[in-house]
Amino acid sequence: MLERLIARWQGILLALIGIVATVWLAATDRLGLYIHPRYFWFTVIMAAIAAVFVVVAFAMTPLREPADEATDAAAPAERGQPDDHDHEHAHDHAHDEAPRSPVRGSLRVALAATILVGAAASLLVLPPATLTSATASQRSINSSGATLEQSGPALVGGDTSQFTVKDWALLLRQNPDAEYFADQAIQVTGFVTESPDDPDNVFYVARFVVTCCAVDAQPVGVPVYLPGWAERFEPDEWVAASGAIVPNPAGSSALPLLMEPTDLTVIEQPDQPYVF
Amino acid sequence: MSRTLAPAHSAPPRPPTRPRSPRSTRQRPALGLSLGVALVLLFAGIRMFAPESVGDVLSNSVQDFFTLSISVVIESLPFVFLGILLSIVVQVWLPEGFLLRHLPRNVVARRVTISLLGVLLPVCECGNVPLARGLILRGLTVGESLTFLLAAPILNPVTIITTYQAFGWSDGILVARILGGFVIANLIGWIYSRHSSPMSLLTPKFQASCAHAHDEVRTTRTRRSVDMFTAETAAMLPALFVGSAIAGLIQVGVSRDLLVTLGQNPVLSVFALMALAFVISICSNVDAFFILAFGSTFMPGAIVAFLVFGPMIDVKMLALMRTTFTARTLVQLTVIVGLASAALGLAVNTIA
Repeated sequence: MLERLIARWQGILLALIGIVATVWLAATDRLGLYIHPRYFWFTVIMAAIAAVFVVVAFAMTPLREPADEATDAAAPAERGQPDDHDHEHAHDHAHDEAPRSPVRGSLRVALAATILVGAAASLLVLPPATLTSATASQRSINSSGATLEQSGPALVGGDTSQFTVKDWALLLRQNPDAEYFADQAIQVTGFVTESPDDPDNVFYVARFVVTCCAVDAQPVGVPVYLPGWAERFEPDEWVAASGAIVPNPAGSSALPLLMEPTDLTVIEQPDQPYVF
Repeated sequence: MSRTLAPAHSAPPRPPTRPRSPRSTRQRPALGLSLGVALVLLFAGIRMFAPESVGDVLSNSVQDFFTLSISVVIESLPFVFLGILLSIVVQVWLPEGFLLRHLPRNVVARRVTISLLGVLLPVCECGNVPLARGLILRGLTVGESLTFLLAAPILNPVTIITTYQAFGWSDGILVARILGGFVIANLIGWIYSRHSSPMSLLTPKFQASCAHAHDEVRTTRTRRSVDMFTAETAAMLPALFVGSAIAGLIQVGVSRDLLVTLGQNPVLSVFALMALAFVISICSNVDAFFILAFGSTFMPGAIVAFLVFGPMIDVKMLALMRTTFTARTLVQLTVIVGLASAALGLAVNTIA
């Protein structure tokens, strides 16, 4: 009975969890924590259409009886592993006709219940969050070729007050010469994450660049030179930094240019933590 | 399918344990609807009143695991819904036999056309198995049905669009996926067209149901549409949620050094991602988003092998196909498709 109920309603319930989560994220303006803004409308419209199907599905019970499951798309999926019950295809018939074992039945129920509870917990209960410095260090900051091969904005004559962390990271990578940045004030906001090359003296003001959804987020950052920075800032704290670009005092080849900060202020995480 | 068919406007069939009184028949839709609305309100309520912050209970890595997994779900879900809607349109609302009526007579041209049917059927692999069963019942040969099953998940607009969204034209990944899927599907169709007794490739149970072909369940199209939506979400969403969780887990759990070592080896990278595709069984409509995260770590040939092998053969697909084909057929199929995908991936790595 329970097995039949789950087979019948699992998809609808999972769809409903996804729909409620999506619509709520859109309504509270936090869809951007997970996907690129170009998908916002598509995502919300498809969720609305699917919601209509879900509601109508509740009003109509499914068409077929379980005895007809051979023609039912859902039924084969609950059938379990393909090769675990037959050794020779000559015996297929007998096995196909055999009743399902209760053990496998309860396993299926347990698995389905786990998926449902897990989906509800992560999509409906957990507060939405941005990626943290853990992923920034896992993915090596400023390492993504594709992200940093775009052409940077024009520094000369550009409105540098509008430049993001990504713009500065692009410029620093493409112009490894301090002369280029002479007399240029720089202001960025991002979260703090330590530099793997020189963790005592240097941290990054970092952001994630998202091309599609958070899964492909690539960290970019502007290295900031501040010996003993860890006493003033925690990783993942959001800061607004301003200063100038100078050659690395330690002469490191991994970090030829650094930002020397004139002002560092802890700020609230912005509504849109990612850059695109 | 000898059971009596309920008229569309009256009660749907129910488990035999339920009493069939006229009273409960009338009340059923209203009851179901109120239950549904109550659930919607319950879920929305949980979401709205859940705490805004969990403090530092979750470590950064655990937090990122959830963020990454949720982002795969949120990104993929609308594409899964789109695929289901389009397959409902084709299977329920287009005239019966619409797809098979105009197929060419020449066998090669016929297979080529069949491998392009997916353009009209932008569902991922899970939705295609029931459709392929229906097509065999209506006269498609076994080899042709395999061509359709293998090609349709890749050669369809939703998959092509999502792959393009994820990778653009970089490294020829999109082109290799489309051409590779097309060639492998036609190769398999050709091989099985030479089989001496194709019906023996099918399970005895399914062979028996071929005898009952054309027994359609008569009911309203709206009901069939909703029924299909229920069945398709039940088949796809559990796999999507589990696949997303695995994607998140690999991202935070597997050390980057190991991934980079595996991913930069032209041979190992191909087999590593094929194994991954086999296990996670993610839908072809959205697998490009899933593998995008590995795009900077793995060689393009490995990504292509993942994107070609995964939609054709994986754990979930084998389970679905086992309803129709014998285990022996599926083992052969897995070996041939696996070798062909690996060859394609290695070739792309050599060229790239």
